[in-house]
Amino acid sequence: MDLTKAANLTGIDWLIMLVYFAFVLGIGFALKRYMRTSNDFFLAGRSIPAWVCGLAFISANLGAQEVIGMGASGAKYGIITSHFYWIGAVPAMCFVGIFMMPFYYGSKARSVPEYLRMRFDEKTRALNAFSFAIMTVFSSGISMYAMALLIQTLGLFHGIIPDAYIFHVSVLLSAVIVLGYIFLGGLTSAIYNEVLQFFLIVAGFAPLVWIGLRNVGGWQGIRQSLPATMTHSWRGMAHASTNSLGVEWVGLAMGLGFVLSFGYWCTDFLVIQRAMAADSEVSARRVPLIAAIPKMFFPFLVILPGLIAVTVTSRMSSVPSGEVTAATLAARDAVQPLTETESQDKHGREVLTLGNIAKPVPLDEAHPTGIIPLKYDPRTGKQVFNADGTPTYNYDLAIPVMLLHYFPTGILGLGLTALLASFMSGMAGNVTAFNTVWTYDIYQAYINKRGTDEHYLWMGRAATVGGVLLSVGAAYLATNFNNIMDALQLIFSLVNAPLFATFLLGMFWKRTTGHGAFAGLLAGTGAALLHHGLTLPADATPGIHGAWLHLVHTYPSDMAQNFWTAIFAFTVNLLVTIAVSLATQPRPDAELVGLVYSLTPKPVDTHLTWYQKPATLAVAVLVMLVVLNLVFA
Amino acid sequence: MGLDIRIPLGLIFLITGGIMSAFGLYTRGNVALYERSLGINLNLAWGIVMFVFGLIMFVVGRRQRWQDDPVTPRPWEREGNDQRGH
Repeated sequence: MDLTKAANLTGIDWLIMLVYFAFVLGIGFALKRYMRTSNDFFLAGRSIPAWVCGLAFISANLGAQEVIGMGASGAKYGIITSHFYWIGAVPAMCFVGIFMMPFYYGSKARSVPEYLRMRFDEKTRALNAFSFAIMTVFSSGISMYAMALLIQTLGLFHGIIPDAYIFHVSVLLSAVIVLGYIFLGGLTSAIYNEVLQFFLIVAGFAPLVWIGLRNVGGWQGIRQSLPATMTHSWRGMAHASTNSLGVEWVGLAMGLGFVLSFGYWCTDFLVIQRAMAADSEVSARRVPLIAAIPKMFFPFLVILPGLIAVTVTSRMSSVPSGEVTAATLAARDAVQPLTETESQDKHGREVLTLGNIAKPVPLDEAHPTGIIPLKYDPRTGKQVFNADGTPTYNYDLAIPVMLLHYFPTGILGLGLTALLASFMSGMAGNVTAFNTVWTYDIYQAYINKRGTDEHYLWMGRAATVGGVLLSVGAAYLATNFNNIMDALQLIFSLVNAPLFATFLLGMFWKRTTGHGAFAGLLAGTGAALLHHGLTLPADATPGIHGAWLHLVHTYPSDMAQNFWTAIFAFTVNLLVTIAVSLATQPRPDAELVGLVYSLTPKPVDTHLTWYQKPATLAVAVLVMLVVLNLVFA
Repeated sequence: MGLDIRIPLGLIFLITGGIMSAFGLYTRGNVALYERSLGINLNLAWGIVMFVFGLIMFVVGRRQRWQDDPVTPRPWEREGNDQRGH
C-alpha cells in the first residue's frame, strides 16, 4: 500500500493540527473555574443556548461511526446510505423535540435513567443505567480504536516513532486529550469542543467535496459513471435483492426508520444530555430540531466523498493512482466513454449496457472501486481476500484517501484535523454521558447516597478517568470487526432497540407499570440476543456475526439482520410491557404528573410568535426532508 | 457559562485560516504543489474564507453579551428550594 508515502506531512500540516489541540485543551482550562458544583460539571449548569446545544447534539453523534463508516458505506452502497440520516434520524429528532423533551427537561431528571426511576421504579433505572454505561464505553472504545488504526494506516507518525508503537501511542494520545478537557471543564467543555469540531468538520470536508465534484463532473458525472442503484436512494427498495443494502423497504422503514432511529435519538442519554443542558424548556425542545437541519445535509459532506472516491478514474485524476487500482481502472476506462442505457440482469439488478457492446456487466464489475485501496490486515500486514479469492477493498479508507488525493499540504492539515476532530467528539460524547450516569445513577443511587455535592463533583472527575481507561480496554477489544458501523449497529440493536417501546409506553400510556417496563426491557433484550443467535447474514460464518445458537434463517445482508433484530426486540418489549402492566397495579395519577403525556399540562408557548414555536420548526424540517428525498429518489 | 463559544471558535478559524492563506500566498506560483487540487490554490482560497468566518464569529462573540453569566441564578436556583437533596 502506497499510503505511507502519500501522507508526507510538512510542518504546516502539523502546525494546523497543533493549533487545534491547543484550543481543545485551552477551552478545558478556560472553563475550569466555572465548575463549582456537580450541576456545572454534569449538566453544564443548564445554561447553554439552543443553537450551541443543537450543534453539540449532532456533533456528539458525529464520531468515527459517521465519518469513516458513512464514507465507507457511500463508497460501497451509494447514496442509499443517506437513509441513515434522512429516515434514520430526522423524523426521530423531530419527535423527541416536540413530544418527549418536555418530560425529560420538565421532570428535572438529570439523566435518562433518572427519568426512568421517576416514571417507573429503581430496578428499571438500574437496568438502563448499567446497560447504557457499558454501551458508552464500547462506543468510545470503538472510536478510539478506529482513530488509532487510521493514524497507523496513514502513517502519520511514520518516521517519528517506530511503526510498531504507532497504534499504542495514538490510543494513549487521544485518551489523554479527551480525558484532559472533560476532566477540566465537564459537559460544558465537551459541548464547546463539539461545536468547534462541528465547524472544523464542515471546513475540512466542504472543500474536499467541492474539488472532488469538480473533478468527476459534478453529480451528473457521478450518475454517468456509477450503477443506477448507487445514485438513487429509493430505487430497488421493493425487494432486498434489488438494492445494494440488501434490505427491503419494510425492514428499512420499520427497523431503521422507526425502531433503531427512535431508540437512539429519543432515548440515548448521549444525545439527550446535550438537549438537557439547554437554558430553558423551549430551548431544549428546539435543540434536536436545530440539529436536524445540518444532519439532513451531512450526507453531502460524508457520503458524497465515498461516491466520488469510487468515481474517480485514472483518466480524471491528476496524480497516479498506484498499482493497487490500475487493473480495475484500465478495465473501466475501456468502456467508460461509451453512452449507457440501463437494463436489468436475471437477478433483477440494474446493470449497465454499454453502447454497442450489449453485454450485461455484473454488479460487482459495474461497481468500480476508484481510488479505494486494497485491504490489509492491520496486525499481520497481509492482504485480505474474500471467501471466493477476490481481493477485499478497504472502504473505511474512502474519506482518508480522498483527503490525500485532492489536498495539497496546508489544507491537508485541516482535513486531517477535521477527521481527528470527529473522532474526538464521538469519544467525548460517550465519556460525558458515562461519567454522569455512573455518578448519578450508579454511584449516588447504590454506593454512596449521602455524599456532599463536592464529593459527587470529585466522583464525576474520577469517573471520567475510569471511563477513559475502560474505553482504552474496549479499543483493544474492538479488533474483531472489520466494519465499525456494523459493530455499533449490533450493540444498538441489542441495547437500544427494545428501549424505545418502554419510553413510548411510559410517556404516552399512564397505565404502564414499573414491573411491566422492567420485564419488557429484559424480554426485549433477550429477544434481540435470541434473534441474533439464530440468524446469520449471507456469506458470514456462525459466531460473532450471528447463529451462535443455531442457524434458522439467513438474511441477504448484515444490515437486514440488524434491522430485523431491532424489530423483534421492540415488538417483544411492547407486548410484554403491556401484558405485565395490565396484570400489575398502576401508580396513582397524582404521582405521574409531569411524567406522562395525558397528565401533564401542554407546554405553553403562546408568548412565542408562530415562527419561534418548536412545532413550526419541526414542520419546516420535515418538509425539507421530503424535498431532499424526492430530489435523490 | 462565562465564556462565549464564538470567541474561541472565531479565534481558531482566524489562526487556521490565517496560516493557510499566508502559506497559500507564499506558494502561489508552485504548480507542482497544487497539481493535486486541479491547479486551484486551495490554501489561499479556503484560508481566506475561514479567516472571514472566524472574524465574523469573533466580532459577534465580543459584541454580544452571553445570555447567561454565572452571576444570574440558574433555572433551578430561581425556583427557590430544590427538594431533591443533592
